[in-house]
Amino acid sequence: MTDNQRKLIGYFGFPRRALLREVRERFSEDLQLVDLDVAAGAPDSGLLPRATCRIIANIVDNAAHLGDRLSAVVAAVGEDKCDRGRHAAWILKDMGLKVFESRFPEDEFEDRELVWSTGRGDLPGRIDRIMETIVDPSPPADPPVRCEPSHGFWGVPPNDFRLLELFPETTHIYGWIRCVEAGRPADLDLECMVDEGISTVFFHQSFCAKQDLAHNLAERYGGIAVDCHREINDSILAKVEAFIKLS
Amino acid sequence: MLIADCGSTWTKILDTGSGELEIISTRELVRRDDLFFEVATGHSGKKRCSRYKNELIALAEGSLALVGEGDFSIVDVGGRDVKFIRFAGRKVKKLDWNLACGSSTGATIELLGSYYEVDFTGLPASEKWINVTCGVFGMEKVLEHVSTGTAPENAVAMFLHGMVRNVFDFSGRPEHLYLSGGFCENKCFLETMEKYCSVASLGRTVPLEGLKDDTEEI
Repeated sequence: MTDNQRKLIGYFGFPRRALLREVRERFSEDLQLVDLDVAAGAPDSGLLPRATCRIIANIVDNAAHLGDRLSAVVAAVGEDKCDRGRHAAWILKDMGLKVFESRFPEDEFEDRELVWSTGRGDLPGRIDRIMETIVDPSPPADPPVRCEPSHGFWGVPPNDFRLLELFPETTHIYGWIRCVEAGRPADLDLECMVDEGISTVFFHQSFCAKQDLAHNLAERYGGIAVDCHREINDSILAKVEAFIKLS
Repeated sequence: MLIADCGSTWTKILDTGSGELEIISTRELVRRDDLFFEVATGHSGKKRCSRYKNELIALAEGSLALVGEGDFSIVDVGGRDVKFIRFAGRKVKKLDWNLACGSSTGATIELLGSYYEVDFTGLPASEKWINVTCGVFGMEKVLEHVSTGTAPENAVAMFLHGMVRNVFDFSGRPEHLYLSGGFCENKCFLETMEKYCSVASLGRTVPLEGLKDDTEEI
């Protein structure tokens, strides 16, 4: 069997760890996990309107493209993801995929140490390491040194990581990404927690409901709200660059 | 030495030696391979200069060169984008940049004005407004108004009023606002803006002022 034929287990958002474990045990621990949120070059499935969150579009397009290769999909559909995640799960079921819905309850919230969110290091790499903890929550063998924040990045992993390359290594991470590292993806209070006095970019994907939080928090904390749809462009980079230099 | 603010629709070129200012359409700029600048800012200037400056930074530095106050707000309404900076004690306190929304930028008004042949110098401000949540939807409302009997000039003035409200909100609803950009020459815009706050026009060369320090380093 070639790589292109191998069966996979797809997931999106931050599913309950117990459910992800159960599905892996049921279908095989050897099946590779694939994060459907991440753009992987899948063609446009045409199943969603164009003006929709790119991350949700990635989920649907990836699932449509992988089709039968997906033995199962573990789908975050609760407050830990968003209503569009719930709709995406419905669409995937309608495609004929085996979808296992996850809603992360408060009594399963963890209290994990914020190693990558408050550590020193390149921002894209730290966000990648945080998102990997969804599948492998074991403590890192190479934790970064903790640092005081010079800047902040709030939000979700952007569809285009090039935005993150502008930020210095002493940028702290806030928002939903911090919630993932803490093991509490539906903790809205934690999601809205930002250190005072830190110049913070409040990022959201275009057409995402989190724009309401980003706008509100940017006003409250003197930050700047930035959104991006598909790929980053020079204008967005210039805006973030100016904010980092001037604030 | 030539320095330039190469906006999406208009390019402002300053000869620092003679002090001569030339404003050409960016439509013309992109067709001229001979134009190259020592220092430039703006969307269309990146590949036409020895040194490029971020346009929000150019606006900030230009503002400080032209305004003597310690605490003030400035908004630059361009063809494609809107930039806002609030200074406190001559330091940037808050800034924002709406990168590509036609609900508060010049290109939409230029299209409408050009199509309906509106003379903005004589156009009175409208008491009413069209809610311009989106430039395209706002244009659609103008078309709807005109098709149901509103004079085109009045419909465009209503659109302009909606746009002014967006700019006012974007600027944080100040009591006094410095204005930069092409709308400094739009009487209807200025009169409409005065309904919400006092306005002082700084003209179209604020970002150019912000480039002057860079020329001294060359």
